[in-house]
Amino acid sequence: MEYSIETHDLTKKFALQKGFTDSLRHPFRKDEITAVEKVNITIGKGELFGILGPNGAGKTTLIKMLCTLILPTEGTAYVNGYNIAGDSGKVRESIGFITTDERSFYWRLTGRQNLIFFASLHNFYSYDAQKRVDELLNIVGLINRANDKFLSYSAGMKQRMAIARGLLNNPEVVFMDEPTKGLDPGAAQNLRGFIKERIVKEQGKTVFLSTHHLGEAEQLCGRIAIIDEGELRVIGSPEELKSTLDKPNPTLDDVFLHYTGKEFKEEEASKHPYSERKRMMREGRRGMMRGGRIGGIGF
Amino acid sequence: MIFKKAFSFIIRDFVLQTSYKFEFFLRLFFMFFSILTFYFIAKLIGGAGLQYLEPYGGDYFSFVLIGIAFSGYLTTAMRGFSESIRGEQMMGTLEAMLVTPTNTSTIITLSSLWSFIFTSFRVLIYLLIGAFLLGVDMSNANLFAAMVILILTIICFSSIGIISASFIMILKRGDPINMLFMSTSELFGGVLFPIAVLPGWLQNVSHILPITYSLSGMRHALLQGYSLHALAPDIIALAVFTVVLVPLGLLAFKYAVKKARVDGTLVQY
Repeated sequence: MEYSIETHDLTKKFALQKGFTDSLRHPFRKDEITAVEKVNITIGKGELFGILGPNGAGKTTLIKMLCTLILPTEGTAYVNGYNIAGDSGKVRESIGFITTDERSFYWRLTGRQNLIFFASLHNFYSYDAQKRVDELLNIVGLINRANDKFLSYSAGMKQRMAIARGLLNNPEVVFMDEPTKGLDPGAAQNLRGFIKERIVKEQGKTVFLSTHHLGEAEQLCGRIAIIDEGELRVIGSPEELKSTLDKPNPTLDDVFLHYTGKEFKEEEASKHPYSERKRMMREGRRGMMRGGRIGGIGF
Repeated sequence: MIFKKAFSFIIRDFVLQTSYKFEFFLRLFFMFFSILTFYFIAKLIGGAGLQYLEPYGGDYFSFVLIGIAFSGYLTTAMRGFSESIRGEQMMGTLEAMLVTPTNTSTIITLSSLWSFIFTSFRVLIYLLIGAFLLGVDMSNANLFAAMVILILTIICFSSIGIISASFIMILKRGDPINMLFMSTSELFGGVLFPIAVLPGWLQNVSHILPITYSLSGMRHALLQGYSLHALAPDIIALAVFTVVLVPLGLLAFKYAVKKARVDGTLVQY
């Protein structure tokens, strides 16, 4: 079978920032934290694959490695058959990355100006860019507001803009990092429908989606991986995962609890990653994390 | 293709810049203040220090006008690249740009293009005001030679700017190259006064700074119309700096990007 994404023992360790006194006392000691450890996944073409895990489990690090923003420490991975370390340019040509960060647009440009600019980074210019941008604005239903400044858009519209941008280069694989974060239930439901029907079923794209929403994972994904403390705990379809539990009518919450030993708290999981990172770095400096796992950092 | 891409960056930055209309207007308006300040200082100085200014035509205002106008390229190069990285990191747009097929060095280089265009516009305004309103004599200017010096200056300063940006990529703040060049260039580079005023041992510092040759060449070309042959010492010095600094800048940036990707800090600020 041909895979869209393949990882082989993919591992990422980050050097821990040392405090001033630690640097003086142990100048040659190398402190590391493991964000992702020996992850092996294969994802077929046209699959909608979800990755679930508590905050700091390693989901974002894994996505960023696959998008070539972070280099792995060990192991290899292929996206559309291209090595993420050796053929990073080819990987980026064939992927789309949809982030929830609304700051990733220029707020004082219009929606259209934003997309035309990002289209040029995908080597679409002039007429080609205009045509592609109009096509996508139609698809995400923003054509009538295309000439308004991005700052005037609602959260849902900003999210649709992020989707349009992620599809500019007509990618074969689309990475989505919490695509419905910050949306009201109605808008989130619409977006889920859009992802499943338009992106996966109609266009046949492979979607790698990270989410903090168990219901969303269950509704959307053909297969789910649960990751915790950098390690992949289990992979399977929602039904397969539930069937592994010796319990009547298990839910995905039960599966999560079983494999991670942690209650799933959506609010906790949606906290801003940098606040967690700062906390962990502080603790690291106090020597609490030497050689340990991240367990709480969202990189 | 690169020109089309460059054009997209220029359009983006032009629209962003002009969306802050008041700031744009203020920047233009306060340009006149610094020119007038030096005009009156020059009036006060009169013929004093003539022996130092003789090689440049003898007029302090003409001397300093070229100095403040063209030293703007150094400021732009030192700040343009690093601020474009930092600006995109802080706006949150860098990550979205880095997952496209356009490579990081192209993104950083093109992101600073607008700053160079704005600086060139400012230089032009300085020179026009100087020539038409404040009596700076550029009737003998050798414009071709000035362009040669300008191109070498921009390449050379940009290379230093890229080295500076490499430090920003890793350190995020506190870039030593910027601090070193900005503080030394104004004092030793001949921006506000001829380096001949400095004691001999301090002039040695001037001779290792590219801005010294850039400003000297530009003054001789614009104020006295020196030929390319007569400008050879300055051109050769700038060419040597360029040959050394361009590969050094590219290597430093390549290393910085790789390190940031290993550390996972590419988009942090």
